Amino acid sequence: MIRLGLRNVPRNKARLMLIAFLIGIPVFLLLSLRSVDEAVERQTTVLTRDVNTVLQLRAKGSMGHVNMIGQDRLLPADVPEKVARIENVVQVESYLLAMAPITPPNFVMHVGLAPSAVKRLESHGEAGNPRIIAGRDLTPEDAGQDVAIIGKGYAAWAAIEPKDVGKATLAIDPSRTHPAIYGMNRPQRNLRIVGIYASGYVFGDLQLFVPIDTFRSIYGTDRRVSWVFVRVDSVDNVATVAQRLHDTVGGVADILVPKQAAVFTATTSRTVLRLTFLGGLLAIVLMIIVVFFVVLMQVRERAREIGTLKAIGASNGGVVVQFLTEAVALALLGGAFGLVVFRFLGDAVTRHLFALGIGPFLPSHYRPLFASLSVGSEISASVLLIVMSVAVVAAIIGSSYGVWQLIKISPLEAVKHE
Amino acid sequence: MNDGSMLPLIELRAVSKSYRKGGERIDAIAGIDLVVEERGMVAIVGPSGSGKSTLMHLVGAMDRPTSGEIGVGGHMVNRLSPRELTQFRRRTVGFVFQMFNLVPNLTALENVALPMEFNGVARAERADRASSLLGQFGLGQRLRHLPRELSGGEMQRVAIARAVANAPRLILADEPTGNLDSRSGQMIYELLQQISRERTVMVVTHAQDLANLANRVIHIRDGRLQDRPPSVAALRRGQESAPAQPSS
Ligand SMILES: Nc1ncnc2c1ncn2[C@@H]1O[C@H](COP(=O)(O)OP(=O)(O)OP(=O)(O)O)[C@@H](O)[C@H]1O
Ligand SMILES: [Mg+2]
Repeated sequence: MIRLGLRNVPRNKARLMLIAFLIGIPVFLLLSLRSVDEAVERQTTVLTRDVNTVLQLRAKGSMGHVNMIGQDRLLPADVPEKVARIENVVQVESYLLAMAPITPPNFVMHVGLAPSAVKRLESHGEAGNPRIIAGRDLTPEDAGQDVAIIGKGYAAWAAIEPKDVGKATLAIDPSRTHPAIYGMNRPQRNLRIVGIYASGYVFGDLQLFVPIDTFRSIYGTDRRVSWVFVRVDSVDNVATVAQRLHDTVGGVADILVPKQAAVFTATTSRTVLRLTFLGGLLAIVLMIIVVFFVVLMQVRERAREIGTLKAIGASNGGVVVQFLTEAVALALLGGAFGLVVFRFLGDAVTRHLFALGIGPFLPSHYRPLFASLSVGSEISASVLLIVMSVAVVAAIIGSSYGVWQLIKISPLEAVKHE
Repeated sequence: MNDGSMLPLIELRAVSKSYRKGGERIDAIAGIDLVVEERGMVAIVGPSGSGKSTLMHLVGAMDRPTSGEIGVGGHMVNRLSPRELTQFRRRTVGFVFQMFNLVPNLTALENVALPMEFNGVARAERADRASSLLGQFGLGQRLRHLPRELSGGEMQRVAIARAVANAPRLILADEPTGNLDSRSGQMIYELLQQISRERTVMVVTHAQDLANLANRVIHIRDGRLQDRPPSVAALRRGQESAPAQPSS
């Protein structure tokens, strides 16, 4: 009966192609979601490793914004050097921050840093360098120059368009005030905007990054700094370094150990996993539905033949085996078709799928990650195994109603409408 | 099969089959008693709607009677379990349908081998027996043909080969020439007569030629057997109830 079932597979070429297509699509969807899953997990691993090795220092009890009322205490100038000497510290990056009022009651953040430093976003800096959407990033040659890169939202407020980048200037006026910002008696300065970045996150896009020496000359600050980011060589050494930091600069600095960030990334990847799981489930349900209709259609269409088989001695079990074989074979062919499509279109489609299907559910600042997401479309043994088992399970579940109908067909069906 | 030659092959006792349509009851078979001996050809004749097909289906265990007992080849057909019914269909009875009912994507040879496959006959033996049967039936050159590549008469010969593949004691044929021209029909009559030398062939027919070849003619009207055959031709042959050697 297995042989008979297999013989029935190519019986109708048009049907075969349609079914391969209908089953192939959910398989393709399933594989795409799985590869998104893998990519996000990979990304999260990198992110977790990265973020979790960076500690932040601020002046004790202060946000460290140079012009924020009550929060303007800065870290002593020797802190970066002291920190750099600690064992297992691989990188020290100094930030200076000032707030600036825009259309009341909003404000933007001006950040001074070494041009090559990681451009972390205020309060959501975990993702690191935002994506440059026009112009260029800061380079070491920009040190001390009156240049800046600006967030998309800030640029929109200042009416700077991508085509203006490189020519447009932005006036920085430290004397302007805001309920939370005090004015500094400093002259206005025009900065040339060399790039616009996008983080996908509203507040993250309301920042301006300038070379740290330029920042100092605008706001008239000395060698003190707002924040210091300390990168440790490995996660395992973070606790030791934190202890050493306490010992050396604990008297003047609050030390922020990267716990929150880890929790945050874990939450995000859980969101993605849940979404891809639901998508995978949907794909399997789609396959089951396709098999359901295909088998039911075949049972109806071949009622006479089934009746004949029973009349000439086929057992119910035999006929069931025949139809199950056919359903499984069709599902496997559909799966193979899905695999082929995935092999050739997987990468491109998966990106869009991720951006459209999953992106909206993610915290928005994760969106720049899409661009850097590397989605695999390789067909490994595990992919093959997944497709095969899903096809077999979907075929069996999907056929169950048809099989029940099959059992009920009487041999008399062979002589109906004679 | 030691009981075969002693007992009649088919025995019906007070068999009825009724259908319900709407509120109405139709007695397709209304209390039939019938005994048919082993071997020979039995023709069943009667007007349309008289219950000929219903009778065949009951005897062949394709359908169950509303009441009464049906014995075929020592089996009480109306009491068989589903598993026993399958065995019965495999071994004791072979069907020939008016519409041939060949499996369209199997070759002539494979169609004939099918019942043997169900019956657990080894592959080599199935092929041997199927091709020798088809050869006997004049289809030696058509073994690998699909049904759609055969004429109606050829298809029906394949179907008869399929029906006798497991060497059943009873062949049931419901209007086997109903879809054939007279020349092909004639060939089928001869074939049925030939195979009835070794087994019982029960055939429903409207064709007088075929009824004339039968050893016995059973008349049925309104679900009842008729004591008196209505035609002189049938009278001549139809009254014997004992098996007779067919004339060839
Ligand atoms: N499934 C059914 N449901 C209801 N009535 C049925 C069914 N099958 C047969 N009948 C009725 O039973 C009666 C006998 O039918 P049957 O098919 O046995 O007649 P028949 O002698 O073979 O006729 P024909 O020569 O036209 O084939 C008819 O009145 C028919 O309408
Ligand atoms: Mg009939």
